[in-house]
Amino acid sequence: MSTLTSASNHSGQAESGANVMTFDADDAMVKKFILASLTFGLVGMLVGVILALQLAFWPANLDLPWTTFGRLRPLHTNAVIFAFTGNFIFAAIYYSLPRLTKTPMWNQTLSQIHFWGWQAIIVSAAITLPLGFTQTHEYAELIWPIDIAIALVWVVFAINFFGTIATRKVKHMYVAIWFYMSMVITITVLHIFNNLALPATLTRSYPIYSGMTDALVQWWYGHNAVGFLLTTPILGIMYYFLPKSVNRPVYSYRLSIIHFWALVFIYIWAGPHHLLYSGLPDWAQTVGSIFSIMLIAPSWGGMLNGLLTLRGAWDRLRTDPIVKFWAVAVSFYGMSTFEGPMMSLRSVNSLSHYTDWTIGHVHGGALGWVGMAAFACFYYIVPRVWKTTLHSLSLATAHFWLATVGIVLYIVAMWASGITQGLMWRAVDEGGQLQYANFMDTVLQLMPFYWIRLVGGLMYLSGLLVMLYNIGRTIQTSGSAVVAAPPAAFAK
Amino acid sequence: MNPLIEAAKDGLTQGWLMGGMTIVFLAFFVAWSLWAWAPFNRKSMEAAARMPLDDGFPARGDL
Repeated sequence: MSTLTSASNHSGQAESGANVMTFDADDAMVKKFILASLTFGLVGMLVGVILALQLAFWPANLDLPWTTFGRLRPLHTNAVIFAFTGNFIFAAIYYSLPRLTKTPMWNQTLSQIHFWGWQAIIVSAAITLPLGFTQTHEYAELIWPIDIAIALVWVVFAINFFGTIATRKVKHMYVAIWFYMSMVITITVLHIFNNLALPATLTRSYPIYSGMTDALVQWWYGHNAVGFLLTTPILGIMYYFLPKSVNRPVYSYRLSIIHFWALVFIYIWAGPHHLLYSGLPDWAQTVGSIFSIMLIAPSWGGMLNGLLTLRGAWDRLRTDPIVKFWAVAVSFYGMSTFEGPMMSLRSVNSLSHYTDWTIGHVHGGALGWVGMAAFACFYYIVPRVWKTTLHSLSLATAHFWLATVGIVLYIVAMWASGITQGLMWRAVDEGGQLQYANFMDTVLQLMPFYWIRLVGGLMYLSGLLVMLYNIGRTIQTSGSAVVAAPPAAFAK
Repeated sequence: MNPLIEAAKDGLTQGWLMGGMTIVFLAFFVAWSLWAWAPFNRKSMEAAARMPLDDGFPARGDL
């Protein structure tokens, strides 16, 4: 293994022997991606809150085609997954990859194309989805010209990413890089094969798959979009930023590489659990369920590694908002990756499928795991790349509590709502007839939960606004504060 | 051939295939785990675990 003893200063430079490498250009990209993530995070979560209001108070649809639930819902999911989370992941990669490889990003022009191309795609989505242009595949609604743009921009990023790895100054590739690689490779394959279609017009196309095959490919894509966009890159980010945040090495590096390979091997097979009780052959459904149950082990390997890395630093939980965010993020990761396999069991799925339980599950992972990890990273990265100190620790702590209580309200409301739905839909009277045959019977029961969900979402959004203010004030002082003295090991 | 025997033959073939795959994947997992926990790998694993901390940038202190 190459030596890892380079010194540093705080202007974004690392010295390795006689070669001085600057990360300033990459940090400029980090800043851009962070600002984009924050902007689109605000939009995506605001639309989410509007949708929650529409479900509790239908006149909020405004009786306009562009603002109905059916059009705003894909706008919400695309915004939070690809715009908020996507830009966050890119920011974290552009920050950590050069530092782990001691190599600047391979090509700055490709970095710029990646950034501006990705934002153009997001703007295209924000225009086309409310106008009703969609290819109707969940999480893959964007029409074919935008799909081609996504593929091209992604390949640009992949070339830059692998170019950096190929020219790295450190032989060993830290486990975070492997997690990033799994995202870059798998998302390429998923995106291309799920979007194979024959264009008919500029805005309409027909998938090359039909019927059950189309459904299977769709959920192979859909589940692994969760796996390789919302899970593995975030785990990679955890493996870099969590040790940095507590200044302790990862608890078990061995466990990290074992659970990495197990996770990526097993994840790719679990998609059919979205199609239980469908026309998919029983054996394929069973494969989906079995692999989902097997996923508990590698998922919890990551959770335990994250939590145990905090061992010896738990006292910081009282005072350090970054550690608070990480502790909750990793806990939610563990909870969601237990809940998901349980929901993939046929007996549980027969109750949970098509109900709000699924919505609660996905938001436990999205708000609890991805969102909290993103906030932890923003609070970590922003003061460093803007070379200043965080404006307010108290506001960061307030953000933490608003977000945490908001998530709990959200998912508990959805659990209660989902189980209520499932039980009412399956209830039969003595004559074997559906007890609640009128759909409105269930809808009326769910109203209190929908209002609670709205309150939870508003709290989470309020926390985001607090963070935006805090980060905005932090950026205002950019360069004006001296970054704290480096640890002794680096000051030599 | 009798349809039942035909189905049984197919099932048997599929069963062997899946069983074989399970053994191969399990062997990979066990071998990979043994390699990771092998005593000769201990130092390199510990060094790798410290890579984020040794990347030339301060870990904490400027919140």
